[in-house]
Amino acid sequence: MDLTKYEKIFTQESGKYLKDLDDLLMSVEKDLINRDLWSEIHGKIHSIKGMAGALSMERITKLSHSMENWCKEFQQGTTEATPNAVQLLLNGADLLRLLVARKGEIDSLENKSWYSSLTASLAKGLEEAATQLQPEKPSHSPARSMPEEIDQVRVAYSLIEELLGLSQEILLSEKTLPTLSQEHKTSGLKTWIDHYTSLLKDLYFRLAQLRLMSVADFSDLFLKTIRGLAREHNKEVRLEVIGGEVQADIALLERLREPFIHLFRNCITHGIEPPDERVRAGKNAEGRIILEAWRERDNLFIKVSDDGQGINRSAIGKYLKDKRTMEDEQIARMSEEDFFNTILSTDFSSARKTTDMAGRGIGMNVVAQAIEYLGGSMTIHSAPSKGTELLLKLPVSLSIMHSVTFKVGKYTLSIPTSDVESIDRGGPISPYESEPLYDLRGLLGVSENGGEFSYILKLKHPREKSRYNSKDGNIELGVDQIIGNRPLMVMPVGELLAKARLFAGVGIMENGDVSILLDIENLLGVETSSNR
Amino acid sequence: MEWFAFKAGDEYLGIEVQYIHRVVDEVKVTPVPLVPCCHMGLMYYRGEVFDVIHVGSLLGQSERVYNGNPRIILLKWSHKKLALVPDLMVGLIWIDDSKREQTPHAQGEHIVRRITPDEIWSKVSELPYGPHKV
Repeated sequence: MDLTKYEKIFTQESGKYLKDLDDLLMSVEKDLINRDLWSEIHGKIHSIKGMAGALSMERITKLSHSMENWCKEFQQGTTEATPNAVQLLLNGADLLRLLVARKGEIDSLENKSWYSSLTASLAKGLEEAATQLQPEKPSHSPARSMPEEIDQVRVAYSLIEELLGLSQEILLSEKTLPTLSQEHKTSGLKTWIDHYTSLLKDLYFRLAQLRLMSVADFSDLFLKTIRGLAREHNKEVRLEVIGGEVQADIALLERLREPFIHLFRNCITHGIEPPDERVRAGKNAEGRIILEAWRERDNLFIKVSDDGQGINRSAIGKYLKDKRTMEDEQIARMSEEDFFNTILSTDFSSARKTTDMAGRGIGMNVVAQAIEYLGGSMTIHSAPSKGTELLLKLPVSLSIMHSVTFKVGKYTLSIPTSDVESIDRGGPISPYESEPLYDLRGLLGVSENGGEFSYILKLKHPREKSRYNSKDGNIELGVDQIIGNRPLMVMPVGELLAKARLFAGVGIMENGDVSILLDIENLLGVETSSNR
Repeated sequence: MEWFAFKAGDEYLGIEVQYIHRVVDEVKVTPVPLVPCCHMGLMYYRGEVFDVIHVGSLLGQSERVYNGNPRIILLKWSHKKLALVPDLMVGLIWIDDSKREQTPHAQGEHIVRRITPDEIWSKVSELPYGPHKV
């Protein structure tokens, strides 16, 4: 198994955690008994330990484990932190930084000695270690006296939008270029213009990538809210992120910000039990909320799960009886999906009492509306005392995707290149071919079914084997003209077009032209095939 | 207060300028299949995609005439956005604040009726989208 990809992710994520760890340790130094800060510090070190453990980086695992033990004691208040203890942990963070950069390996005797003495100090009793002299750092270690290299700057999102707009306008101005005379062409002016345009296209695409935000950064937006809610409800909660490196369009994530506050609030308010209850149930006192993200084909999947008590089934049952006048038998016949989807109703609430935000029955409805607006879907799974899992499937967010772009009548349409098996010259429809051929002109209301197609797109569609009764799972689409296989900047389809449920996104070509990404699965689901 | 006035069919309409994001031309509108006839397509402008709506046909006032590069009013309000294609642009008109709620408003020889972005959005949203349009 090639671990390079995971090591790269580990280095990126750990770098971020270590930066946060430095800030948190410096804050806690001024407020040594602040348990919330210790909880956050603990969380950061624990995350590094978890990732290093998965990659068998034993030195990092061992060091972070020792640091974590200290933090746990400070967090629980069993031992009081001292400035020396904080300094020792800061040294630990420095050593972790060095080890992360070297993938857990130590390359010099000096560093080896530093590692040994620091782990030995951390392994000692807190009182003994925290009062003794600090293990000495090698002179060339990543010292705090040298400010970190500036490799990132904070930029307002509006500025990125502005730059993107300006570069688009410059790019579009190419269209207003007057016709060049033969003299101009021979003078090299055309070559110069072509080169200039090519540079502009590159600039535009690079700027477009600035609109992407990692899921890890998105999750950071909720840390304070989660901490505040947990504190308010006397619960211990930790947010874990898997797939933090997955990137999505800021506009899409911005739309998800409010719904996610509701999701996390529900996890903490209704899902995760108080620490004593969790311990009695054989669980860790600290509840976990896991935010997991991944990309699959042209979809972004985000799963939010908790290890709490699960959705209150009796509250759903009561609601169905009281508000929808359903009988027990009818409720029992409901599918799990329909049953749990009840919580998306505008007037549903499982809270025993209402607080400022929870128990007003608006939370999950807000989530459902936002997902619908984005053209996505949500599935809910829950098991008593095990927890709840919400899986969000969102259509393509802004990303650069290679797509086959083609024309059908006056429409410019695209399909992800990864879905296309081959492109063949077309011909008249024959009744003897076994492959199901879909007449896009007919499906899209361009003209009557039938006639000749200039090109046939053969799609890879293994999932549709049974549905479309095709022997090898391939589907063919008849189209009028192929524009090309080109990169598209893909944006979510808006609220109006989402109603049609046929479009997976809006693609922007390098020249600023728009193309509509078809949702083949849905499109073919609305009409039967015509065999040629 | 100021309204941005335009003509749709025989009617003059005005939208409060606070909702007008920009007025543009020379922007390509890409047609989209299986949408109501007043939906002219999509346009991409400065990093955003707008649904382009022909106001006259939305209001049943006029037939949509194909125009490759129409002048377009971009509206942005409370997380929504739309691009409107009128039959004729009039421009800014000044409405006395004390008469702001009064609609229609007499402007010279024309009567201008106030219309809000939400009213337009609501009409566009009620229309059928998808295969049943064929």
